[in-house]
Amino acid sequence: MIMRISDLKTNFPTPDGIVRAVDTIDLSIRDTETFGLIGETGCGKTVLGLTIMRLLHPAATMEGEIIYKGKNLLEASEAEMRTIRGREIAIILQNPTTSLNPVMRVGEQIAEAIRLHQGLNKKDAAAKAVEMLDAVRIPSPSQRANEYPHEFSGGMKQRVMIAMGLACNPSFIIADEPTKGLDVTIKAQIVELMKEMTERKAMLLITHDLSVARELCDRIALMYAGELVEYAPLKGIFESPLHPYTRGFLGSLPERGLVPIPGMSPSLIDFPDGCRFHPRCEHATEVCRREHPELVEFNAGHFVRCHHARS
Amino acid sequence: MLEVEGLTKQFSSGIMKKRNVSAVDCVSFHIKKGKTLGLVGESGCGKTTIGRLILRLVEPTSGKVVFDGIDLLSLKRSELRKIRPRMQMIFQDPDSSLNPRLKIGTSIAEPLRLHGTVPKDERAQKIMELVETVGLNPEHVNRYPYQLSGGQNQRVVLARILALNPDLIIADEPTSSLDVSVQAQILNLMRDLQKKFNHTYLFISHDLEVVKIMSDQIAVMYLGKLVEVGETTDVYNNAKHPYTQALLSSRRILLKGETPGPADIPTGCRFHPRCPQKQDKCAIEEPEPVEVEKGHYVACHLV
Repeated sequence: MIMRISDLKTNFPTPDGIVRAVDTIDLSIRDTETFGLIGETGCGKTVLGLTIMRLLHPAATMEGEIIYKGKNLLEASEAEMRTIRGREIAIILQNPTTSLNPVMRVGEQIAEAIRLHQGLNKKDAAAKAVEMLDAVRIPSPSQRANEYPHEFSGGMKQRVMIAMGLACNPSFIIADEPTKGLDVTIKAQIVELMKEMTERKAMLLITHDLSVARELCDRIALMYAGELVEYAPLKGIFESPLHPYTRGFLGSLPERGLVPIPGMSPSLIDFPDGCRFHPRCEHATEVCRREHPELVEFNAGHFVRCHHARS
Repeated sequence: MLEVEGLTKQFSSGIMKKRNVSAVDCVSFHIKKGKTLGLVGESGCGKTTIGRLILRLVEPTSGKVVFDGIDLLSLKRSELRKIRPRMQMIFQDPDSSLNPRLKIGTSIAEPLRLHGTVPKDERAQKIMELVETVGLNPEHVNRYPYQLSGGQNQRVVLARILALNPDLIIADEPTSSLDVSVQAQILNLMRDLQKKFNHTYLFISHDLEVVKIMSDQIAVMYLGKLVEVGETTDVYNNAKHPYTQALLSSRRILLKGETPGPADIPTGCRFHPRCPQKQDKCAIEEPEPVEVEKGHYVACHLV
């Protein structure tokens, strides 16, 4: 078990009220597994990733524990976090176009991370950067290292982001929508690359794209309104989903009949009473409106948060 | 309903505008009334340009567009303006398609006012009707776009379009910025509206699963050219072009490299540098579309 998250809460105070973006999350990630975190816009999945990296706005408050290799990251000092970021835990952000520095050569951006985290000198770091570009299959890497991000296509920039994330050989990778905005054929290439590059690493893959999760993940969790509503091994989610939200999510995919979930996700400021999904749920009963369900183990390794879970 | 023949658009670029870039190259297809043609391709292949050329938002270099028997390219500006209400477009990002400073109700009233189709005293009632048709609540008319979600805003866009009673709707990636559960809501609404009003759709998308469920016919585009056109079931069950096959393989066939830009189109078949089945001939000779079964055209030397 490389990481254990328990009772994690991340709140943001805003003029409209407290945004409870991550609300009592419990979750463990094994040494070499890829764990998929699936959810729709605004469910809090990106905030969870940023909480692990401790990259949130200073106003955000965090409670609970994130135990990484025996150490609680929420209690680590900023100096300690700086030794963990990049070297131990790396994040591959979505939207490489805005994540890369437009006025810095691509090779230098990768080398910068290597120099900072691994203490290599400038020349060795530059050589390592070229090596990384080669590893993510960028053609003529030594020449491309001297180019700027605008000279790279979207798919190539995503490769650079992956190279940067993996440059210091971290044991844990957080990938936030790594295939967002990519074309179908390019997406296929990036999924293939990620599969290969993260084979012996732990990865938290944050995405709303189930087809990508299906190819990369060992286990999958569904997040709704700040909390996990179901998690299970890949097969469990796709073949015997238990939570009505999971079923609705799968059913709204075009290849599964395009049956929408009625209504909208609630705002993270004002949750419905009882089960947060009940206003959109066709199976909701009195107890769902009244009582907030707990996450329970329904089958071995298959957890669900629903009063009426049945297979 | 809509016939497109040899539609071509060249943009000039470079120093002194000496270089011609073909964004759309000799594209032909037709759509019957009440049917949907799905236009599939990756970014930069020219699919959005086709939508704009049909509406003459961009002037074509050559070719022919016939809409309900009217040759659109021969029309004068004033004549075109008269026919425009019958052809409407839905864009990708609903939030930027609406004027942020207009209330939803005012936005929906705008097309009614501009084209004067509904008398002034009946407008309020018509707006309420439209709001209901697209599944919004009456109280939404007094809100601003930023107070609604992306899915709701796309419903507002649809209400504005329905206000004009169009025959042809060009939908350019109408759900690509929406979550899957909301996407399902909007696509279902579009299908219901089509049944109710007998709309003809040109549905532009990069998502093959979405196109499959929405379309009667499919056209696959690569770098400005159609490589395969046919009935949806024929294209999905019997794809002939290696590019279509790769797109449909759900990532089992991996294509090498990336799509080159329209400024440097490869010689011969423009797909040959990435084609897993290329032959010597492919680099030299450009393939012509061949009818492989009724209504199913493929531009590839291998068929």
